[in-house]
Amino acid sequence: MPDLAPILQECRSSQPNILATLQKIQEVFGYVPRDSVPEIAHALGVTDSDVAGVLSFYHDLRTEPPGRHVIRFCLGDSCLATHCEKSLAALEKKLGCKLGGTSKDKRFTIEKVYCLGNCALSPSLMVDHDVHGRFTSGNVMSLLKDYK
Amino acid sequence: MKVYIPDDSSACAAGADRVASAFEKIKEVEIVRTSSRGAFFLEPLVEVDTPQGRAGYSNVPPSQVPVLLKKTPEPISQMSFFTKQTRFTFANAGVTEPMSIEQHGFKALNKARGMDPQKILDEMKKANLRGRGGAAFPAGIKWQTTKDTASDLKYVVANADEGDPGTYSDRMILEGDPYRLIEGMAICAHAVGAKKGFVYVRSEYPAGITKLRNAIAHATEAGILEEDFFELKVFVGAGAYICGEETALLESLEGKRGMVRPKPPFPAIQGLWQKPTVINNVVTFATVPDVILRGGDWHASLGTEKSKGTIPLQLAGQVKNAGLVEVPFGVTLEEVIWGYGGGMPKGAKFKAVQVGGPLGSIFPKSLLKTKICFDEFIKVGGILGHGGIVVYDDDTNMVNLSRHFMEFTAEESCGKCTPCRIGSTRAKEILEVILAGQGTKEDLALLDELGETMKLGSLCALGGLAPMPVQTAIQYFGNEFQRK
Repeated sequence: MPDLAPILQECRSSQPNILATLQKIQEVFGYVPRDSVPEIAHALGVTDSDVAGVLSFYHDLRTEPPGRHVIRFCLGDSCLATHCEKSLAALEKKLGCKLGGTSKDKRFTIEKVYCLGNCALSPSLMVDHDVHGRFTSGNVMSLLKDYK
Repeated sequence: MKVYIPDDSSACAAGADRVASAFEKIKEVEIVRTSSRGAFFLEPLVEVDTPQGRAGYSNVPPSQVPVLLKKTPEPISQMSFFTKQTRFTFANAGVTEPMSIEQHGFKALNKARGMDPQKILDEMKKANLRGRGGAAFPAGIKWQTTKDTASDLKYVVANADEGDPGTYSDRMILEGDPYRLIEGMAICAHAVGAKKGFVYVRSEYPAGITKLRNAIAHATEAGILEEDFFELKVFVGAGAYICGEETALLESLEGKRGMVRPKPPFPAIQGLWQKPTVINNVVTFATVPDVILRGGDWHASLGTEKSKGTIPLQLAGQVKNAGLVEVPFGVTLEEVIWGYGGGMPKGAKFKAVQVGGPLGSIFPKSLLKTKICFDEFIKVGGILGHGGIVVYDDDTNMVNLSRHFMEFTAEESCGKCTPCRIGSTRAKEILEVILAGQGTKEDLALLDELGETMKLGSLCALGGLAPMPVQTAIQYFGNEFQRK
């Protein structure tokens, strides 16, 4: 299990922010281990359920390690209007995993997102921090080639 | 020779970075990265200076770069997408460098500092600037309430949790003109006596977060925020749509689950950590500098009787010229979609349009003459929301789309109100039955009743408005919901 002590030391305060602490942990380790909830709660001076409640509330927070790259596939209104579901099906088939899953080679995790603000170029997806748009079911895989 | 290339993330998604790299190989060219004009259908849009002002080459592929400058560019001032727009809040879009303090100037803040705080509030009230996030509450009244509430600490919070799918105007400000947001917030802080501010930005906007953080650091270094001892911080969201609701946003900012609070007390009186808090949308704050510079009367001279000023509309979905259109309130939907948006893309046929994100009503062709302003939209049973306009073509299955809206609500409901938390899941299940062709009249009646319960029994707009797109889809496209 990752050593959270240095981060928790940094996040201690008279007004601790649970969400910001969990985000910091995920930024460093890629996820927040579910077993670490008591340790986080103790460090921040809040209850286990306070921490578990925040951890389960936010879509961004993960309790399992993700693949090397995270694809956030947009299912927002504009992307649906441009029939993105066909591209999603193609992507899921090629990667061999569904939304929320990780490919067998651990290269990609696909997550659902509602809007990337790239609606004028729908359909859209984001790989790590890069936004891509204007793809089709035929060429969506070519967007991934540079992410090893 | 200067070549202007946008560094907006949508422009980059269209290939602007690759175009910039190709230009790096040409010695006599100086590359200037600007914001985007928001004409995303033209991106990458590369511009040069000409005697007629800036002129552009549109949809430039990197392979064209070596020969591009030999061609004749089209003056921006003659491009039909821009000529009819009234750009104030987005006046800098595509023109300035996002990180340049010199180009921004902070003229409005300097003017505001010379004004009595009450005079600023009077101008804001005269302007009748209504919140652009969706609720359309007059900003001046909100500010006055916070100013009049005695407290040792007050906060100014910008809502940059632009969650409505189909919208991107906040993102364009964050990435393209962050000083405008900072300036609007600083003016507010000066007017209401706040010393601390936060911008709550959704995590889906990493480029906006980086640019805003840099802009705050530059502005702080330059001493711009110092005069009012105004401290501004960025807080990043974690992928919850509900955190765009102001009280859920405040809970989230405090590090908790983003659960909606009952109102009253209103945030203007008891907001962040129970202190008086002005919370406005990014576009609202970004409009403040113009109100201060040009006066409240100027702002009130634009638009319709009850919707003053301009609104940045964001065209998306099945539309030829997708992009940002800033116009005074009062134009019709048809003028926006066909006049600015160029109508449907080749081969696509219009079916419906949705204004105001996933809580907005579905409008058929017969409502296209509706004027874009708050009151006209309420009259026809819709909302303007944050100004997102998504056009659907006739390949869209209305039952499947309705199911999507209920799935969205089920996933994004904070869970506080039972009708929203459970009603959305039940509605989704009913729609799945209808989608399978097994729906009955009773199912439709139940769906309607469920919708009414959600509307009446939910604290916030998510539960209160989520039934709207489904009910209007049934109202206008009822035959698709019949048993097959």
